[in-house]
Amino acid sequence: MNIRGSYSLHAPRERVFAAICDPQELMAVIPGCRDVHRLANGDYEGSIVLRLPGAVGTYHTTVRLVDVVVPERSGLEGRVDGVMGAIRGTASFGLGEERDGTRIDYQGSAEIQGPLSRLDSRFTEKLAETLISQGLKALDARLRTEVPT
Amino acid sequence: MTIASYYRPETVDEALGILATRGPELLVIAGGTIAMPLINEGISLPTEVMGLRRAGLDTFAPQGDVVVIGATLPITRLTQQTDVPLLRLAALRTASWSVRNMATVGGNLFAPPPAGDVATALLALDARVTLRGLDGSRELVLDKFWTGFMTTALNPGELLTEIKVPLENVTTTFIKFGRKRDNTPAVVTVAVVAELNDGAVAGARIALGAAGPHPIRARNAEAELHGRALSASVIAAAADAAAAECDPFTDALASETYRRQMVRLFVGRALAQLKPATNGREA
Repeated sequence: MNIRGSYSLHAPRERVFAAICDPQELMAVIPGCRDVHRLANGDYEGSIVLRLPGAVGTYHTTVRLVDVVVPERSGLEGRVDGVMGAIRGTASFGLGEERDGTRIDYQGSAEIQGPLSRLDSRFTEKLAETLISQGLKALDARLRTEVPT
Repeated sequence: MTIASYYRPETVDEALGILATRGPELLVIAGGTIAMPLINEGISLPTEVMGLRRAGLDTFAPQGDVVVIGATLPITRLTQQTDVPLLRLAALRTASWSVRNMATVGGNLFAPPPAGDVATALLALDARVTLRGLDGSRELVLDKFWTGFMTTALNPGELLTEIKVPLENVTTTFIKFGRKRDNTPAVVTVAVVAELNDGAVAGARIALGAAGPHPIRARNAEAELHGRALSASVIAAAADAAAAECDPFTDALASETYRRQMVRLFVGRALAQLKPATNGREA
């Protein structure tokens, strides 16, 4: 599974980078997210409930930030485990300054194991794109409501 | 893993109570035509399932200027009514008789493309959906129900209970193009609802299926028609606009490029088929 995309966020780059690294912000914007917390080693751990047509389930998620350059870019290594299978992948994002805020460019690839892997990749890729897009839209909505300092 | 518990509520209130108690890991099904193949294939592995077929939502009730359709009405029942001819056409082109006997109108709104022929017709009809939770219910225009590929505005704890279809003095057309005539997924589905006034289009809604992450309105194409007579050049402009604004995908049936070309072709054909309404409601 490969994903790639970009989105414009209406906040300064430093604020966007901080929000992406904040477990409370992440929990508020990731669709179906029930819990995110930071472990002692800096990794993130959490759970996401996905309710899809014909399939529901809770997915345990671990993510590690790698090659971090604040506030420009970061890499991510992660694993998602649930009853329908596991997804292991790497991704990266970059933040560029725009006139009205920050543009995030992201890309990633993942290997799907278990029952999920029998789904047409069109479904998993489209679903991943949808969830990322909804998460970024929600993040932008939160950032827009902040009073500029 | 197998299904450990199956709930079969007999009222919507009972269903909402079960949903609240069991939480988001409860798989809600109606006809089961989306979920059961996934479960039988071992892809979906729910431990708890709630079936809504006995919850009293299998109704079709004309009420003044609207038809209220219960979410679990079998699609077959749409083929047996005459109040909304567009829905009858869409139902007849959906899957096979055996699947239509089980599949429900509400369930079709959750079907990922290229499925969702009835959903496409409902979008063209400007239907509204009722989403009910323990704290009350809310209505949404169908266009706002889908939030992305396989995702909807349904909140945790809510159920889709009704679809309300306005009865209007309009003319309609429905075309589904597949690799064979019957019992086939769509390469593209086009549903058009238009109000014609002395040969000119007073208003039109064009819905496309299998041409986006969910059924979509071709609003630029609709704008091309507004206030104009349905001449060949106007139809061609609208068809071009629909092809430009749709967001098709590639699957085993067709490529993205081919689907876009078929959107142009079949929007044009659907518009060419429009005739003035001949009765007080939908023609």
